[in-house]
Amino acid sequence: MLIWVCALHCEAKPVIDYYRLKKSHEERAFDLYRGDDMLCVVTGIGKLASAAACAWVAARCENEAALAWINLGVAGAAEHELGTLFVINKIVDADNGQSYYPAPAVATSLAASACLTLSLPSDEYRDDTLFDMEASGFVYSALRFSSAELTQSLKIVSDNRRQQTGKNRQRVSELVQAHIESIDRQAAGLLRLKQQVAALEVPADSWQQLLSLAHFSQTQRSRLRVLWRYLGNREFDSETLLRQLATQKTAGEIIAALEQISYQDSEGL
Amino acid sequence: MVSCVYIESAVRDHPRALQLLKRLRKLPLVEIDHYGEVFNPRAQNFRLQKQNPAVIIAHKNKGQVLAAPEGYGLGGEHNYYFSHMLNCLYDCRYCFLQGMYQSAHQVLFVNYEDFGEQIRQTATRHANKPVWFYSGYDCDSLANEPMTRFTEYFIPLVKSIDNAWMELRTKSTQVRSMLGLEPSNNIVTAFSFSDALSHARLEHGVPSIEKRVNAMSRLIGAGWPVGLRFDPVVYHRDYQSAFVDLLEQIFTRIDARKLHSVSLGSFRLTRDHFRSISRLYPEEPLFAQNMNLDNGIISYPLEREREMIDFCETQLMNHIPAQAYHPCEWHG
Repeated sequence: MLIWVCALHCEAKPVIDYYRLKKSHEERAFDLYRGDDMLCVVTGIGKLASAAACAWVAARCENEAALAWINLGVAGAAEHELGTLFVINKIVDADNGQSYYPAPAVATSLAASACLTLSLPSDEYRDDTLFDMEASGFVYSALRFSSAELTQSLKIVSDNRRQQTGKNRQRVSELVQAHIESIDRQAAGLLRLKQQVAALEVPADSWQQLLSLAHFSQTQRSRLRVLWRYLGNREFDSETLLRQLATQKTAGEIIAALEQISYQDSEGL
Repeated sequence: MVSCVYIESAVRDHPRALQLLKRLRKLPLVEIDHYGEVFNPRAQNFRLQKQNPAVIIAHKNKGQVLAAPEGYGLGGEHNYYFSHMLNCLYDCRYCFLQGMYQSAHQVLFVNYEDFGEQIRQTATRHANKPVWFYSGYDCDSLANEPMTRFTEYFIPLVKSIDNAWMELRTKSTQVRSMLGLEPSNNIVTAFSFSDALSHARLEHGVPSIEKRVNAMSRLIGAGWPVGLRFDPVVYHRDYQSAFVDLLEQIFTRIDARKLHSVSLGSFRLTRDHFRSISRLYPEEPLFAQNMNLDNGIISYPLEREREMIDFCETQLMNHIPAQAYHPCEWHG
């Protein structure tokens, strides 16, 4: 699942439109938009709101094998031109000085920048960093549920020393919309990485079928999971394996049978 | 492909850092306070990171030289290791470095002089006795040589200390810098080899066997002592014929009488490392093989291990003088 995290509707709108996400009417805490393998949450302004929304969404995705995150929004900058898109490689929380480093795992031609997250709006422009009000809360929370390679922040300059458009919602949507192709490429790269991680996990349905064959202790479950993950990733057909295992009477026999298959398979490297 | 560069603010103006930045000038640069901020956090996926690792330029504050783990080395009494880098350019599935750190980024330390000072002090503590310094424990000694220029500093240093010996352990072919230096009997470059199938399946990004044999041959030709490391030998159905072929490939080019040392050991990892790595690569046949836990180490069942080591030893002895052979003993 790829989760977009935006503070404002006007930041989220180009993404919602581009991917044709549908609003979920069952949710109350935050506005949530759903699509295939994709969610977009509108968090409201501020790092606490962003952190709370990330945790809230993650709790709704607990059965997902892997989560990828993109925090998309506008930011202030001293000199950069309005509308410039940056991938953020360092996030600093201005209140406590804590730094976070989203890992640059997706090859990109986008310019990179640091981002300072403030608790209050500011027009004190700093030369060496963008600034916003959400990124540190976003990354703090998202990293509880994913790795730094699957947690990205994209910021578009809406204000600088010469011009301020951050409060003009229509203009903010236009700034995001202008980069939607680049944003989509970034998202596609992240989805590919997420897929690599998810593909290694044990599929929930076959795992449940396997567990139903016998009573497994916790230790046996751990061993079973290792074997099932291996064979699943070696493209053994789970249905065929489950049929073979149905003749085994105990958890120990099932594990021994899977071990034999694994040993044989692995001897060829 | 390197994705970006992190640099500790304190080494921003260090001459070696400036050299590195010149080579890496096209990459995004991120300033950090301490390499641990990027290298140590738990929320990192080593496997994903390994696809596009970053370079971290840093200062090693303490522990530049450490006692080598028991059983590591060539049987000398005083064994130490030091790591001017953390992590390896290559991606060998059997290597404990895959599970050692949270991060796959390559840390390059630039304060060689502090390493040098500790090497000197350590050698002085064991005056008149040979002291071995191993450089290829947390990294490949030579793989990043064009960037690190490791040999330029450390070879003259070790040569200048009467009782110091150094092993450079490598799978690389980066010997050009050494060929430009005066050879020294106290510096042994040890090349690690696995058979062709293990190389193809498990040693991702490692130069071909042929190219490495060629690099070895050039070093020997220039008068440098060279070692061979068959560690780990990995089990597979055809390991015997593959090992024979490997020896054939090496010894048709290399005069065994000129080898400083040869060591041999079967695949083994500590239980913790084995668990970490097999979680990272659950589809990897190496970790699905029949293994035993023995005294905290996961390895092949004793009978299989003995068979492998006996076979490989016998084959080796057809090529090398017995005094050059150092088996890797780890059973305690």
